Amino acid sequence: MTETVTVRVQRYRPEEDQEPWAQSFEVPYSEDLSILDALNQIKDQQDPTLSHRWSCRMAICGSCGVMINGEPRLACKTFLRDYRGKDALEVRALDNFPIERDLVSDISGFIDHLETVQPWLIRSDEQPVSAGAYRQTPEQMQRYAAFSQCINCGLCYAACPQFGRDPAFLGPAALTLAQRYNLDSRDEGASQRMNWLNAEAGVWSCTFVGYCSQVCPKDVDPAAAINQGKVASDINYAVNLFNILRGKDDA
Amino acid sequence: MRKPYVQRQRADWWLRNPAYRRYMLREATALPLLFYTLLLMSGLYQFTRGEAAFLGWLELLRNPWLLALHGVALAAALFHAVTWIALVPKILVIDTDRLRVSPTVVKRLHQVGAVVCNVGLLLLVLLLVGGGR
Repeated sequence: MTETVTVRVQRYRPEEDQEPWAQSFEVPYSEDLSILDALNQIKDQQDPTLSHRWSCRMAICGSCGVMINGEPRLACKTFLRDYRGKDALEVRALDNFPIERDLVSDISGFIDHLETVQPWLIRSDEQPVSAGAYRQTPEQMQRYAAFSQCINCGLCYAACPQFGRDPAFLGPAALTLAQRYNLDSRDEGASQRMNWLNAEAGVWSCTFVGYCSQVCPKDVDPAAAINQGKVASDINYAVNLFNILRGKDDA
Repeated sequence: MRKPYVQRQRADWWLRNPAYRRYMLREATALPLLFYTLLLMSGLYQFTRGEAAFLGWLELLRNPWLLALHGVALAAALFHAVTWIALVPKILVIDTDRLRVSPTVVKRLHQVGAVVCNVGLLLLVLLLVGGGR
């Protein structure tokens, strides 16, 4: 007889339900089955009404983030074998986001936060395309390389109690992206982004819980990026104060 | 029709995950330090009230409960310092074209600095107490 695993999946059908509830499914066990495979098995073979997001199946697209036994994880990068022998295997929608349906979260607030920090190269003078690419050395690239690995999966927001308390907080990924561009030798937009880093919803709302860095599937270390942003914010404050005292406009 | 379910943060969010419990334990190290600060301030106040009041305060310090609380405050301060210094290399990144310091060196320098300052302070106090006799 085939070994099966019980997976408790959170359901929320906005047409019928007032709040989420859990439904149990039996999934055939195999060593190489990921949680995403299990969800697809349920949807294909057992209940076609189950809604979940996924695309690449290899931790690149960042679509399949869910809470697995209370931890934010990518369903494609988490395997049934890791939960073998455990009492329960529970899959829920990501914490701290509104639930659209079943395991699908409404991440529009998070996407807005990403846009807020202007995550692109800002130049005071754009050079024409004919002048070629903006060049930088491997050492200069190395300074922000880790922070540029983010796949916007939102796991760090599900891990962040400050974002859970106040959704206006720009949060781990957006502040990391701001730091990523501020550290880029080709970028000249730091002074614009500092307004957002310095703001109430910026780096100072972070209390260095650090769980965001633990759950990041790409080892981006957002907690480090945000707290480096606090150092940048301090320096910016001192420079502005100095300029005001000298009778100049602040930067 | 859309009807997103808004998840509210529960009051016991920090009990539900080991990572949050460790974070709250670290934050809670402020409480024994608050106790220690209040104790020192009360000592200063008794000092202003004269010799008898201050000697009474010194006598109070021998209370085994207060000694135990001092132990807790010391352990909390050490735990906070050790975990903070472990995080410093994440925040203090010295990596410019002219100067580059490895994260391990940044951490070691902070550890050495903390030990030197604490031992120095202890020696200073012992020196002052010795000189006063």
